[in-house]
Amino acid sequence: MTTTHHPTEATLLEYFSGTLDEGRRIVVAAHLEMCASCRRLLSAMETMAGDHLVSTPPEPLAQGAFERTMARLDAAAASPAKSHPTAHDLPVKVRALESYELGPWRWIGPGVYWRGVVLPEKGTSRVFLLRAAPGTHLPQHTHEGTELTVILKGAFRHEGGRFGAGDCDDADDSVEHSPIVEDGEECICLVAMEGTIRLRSLLGRLIQPLVRL
Amino acid sequence: MADESAKPGSRDHAALIVAVAENRDRAAFAELFSYFAPRIKSLLRRAGDSPEQAEELAQEAMLTVWRKANRFDPGGANASGWIFRIAQNLRIDAARRARRADRTASEFALEALEVDAPEAIVGATQMEEKVRRALAQLSADQRKVITLSFLESRPHSEIAELLQIPLGTVKSRIRLAFQRLRSLLEEVE
Repeated sequence: MTTTHHPTEATLLEYFSGTLDEGRRIVVAAHLEMCASCRRLLSAMETMAGDHLVSTPPEPLAQGAFERTMARLDAAAASPAKSHPTAHDLPVKVRALESYELGPWRWIGPGVYWRGVVLPEKGTSRVFLLRAAPGTHLPQHTHEGTELTVILKGAFRHEGGRFGAGDCDDADDSVEHSPIVEDGEECICLVAMEGTIRLRSLLGRLIQPLVRL
Repeated sequence: MADESAKPGSRDHAALIVAVAENRDRAAFAELFSYFAPRIKSLLRRAGDSPEQAEELAQEAMLTVWRKANRFDPGGANASGWIFRIAQNLRIDAARRARRADRTASEFALEALEVDAPEAIVGATQMEEKVRRALAQLSADQRKVITLSFLESRPHSEIAELLQIPLGTVKSRIRLAFQRLRSLLEEVE
């Protein structure tokens, strides 16, 4: 699969260091499953970082630091194994979603359905799936805060270009979008949305009561 | 702690992490500690941390290695790169907590980078060679900006000063450098 739209470098750097919030991390992980180019880039970053650390001249730790750390090892239990995968009825397999429960599909407008991804802890972003029928014109909306989207199936177009399966739309708050789903196939996206949604946006008004739940 | 004079290769480090994961092997951990803790401390000092902070985070990073060793993927990940990511994660998290006192430490959310990826079949060593070949083709300017921002975690304002370029140019230069790296990596495939 060849993807043409990737997360920004800033987003990838945060993914690399594990500092992305959970919602955005899930979306980037889903993109990586479908994007060899980003996997290669992250792998290169890891190699580069490793070489850099190895070539950093060591600076001795204070006396007793080693013994103090060794003494803390017993208290530091091994991290639990990953939770059991959940079987989903999605038409595409997304490993990034396997350890999360999904809510039911809900109708939110003509041809548009919404489905929440249940995060164990309330984070800074909300994660949900959107399913839209072929040819659907999604209402114009401005992002307030950030919105990170990966297309799992189908395609849409907006001012920023065509987004097909695997593509990632890493939009900042300055972009006005009016996406149109391509004809022929329904479109399913995974979205992490941060911050509050602008009320004057119709899509925002539709989604807001749901994501507030 | 004296640094080991014999410098083990990254494969050996990977084997030590696996020994920690599978057998809770304290001797293996001690070896990792003596090699990496002083380097992590040095890395963090260079990024501007105080000696105390760097010292504390280096120990925390090694404890994280102990706790999360079972998340390390010996087939796809680069051992020292994985430890770099842990140190970077703790540093960013500590900085965020310092800014926002109410925020609790985030659960370390580092995922393996290459799980089940088709190109993992190529083998980690072969992949690393390809990566190094691509890196060698970056221009000196591009390498510099990636080193300063990504590897040394310097703030954009400092990079602007060091390179004598406007602040606004720093961001675009970083972006272009990563884009070039991305396309070089496609070519070596």
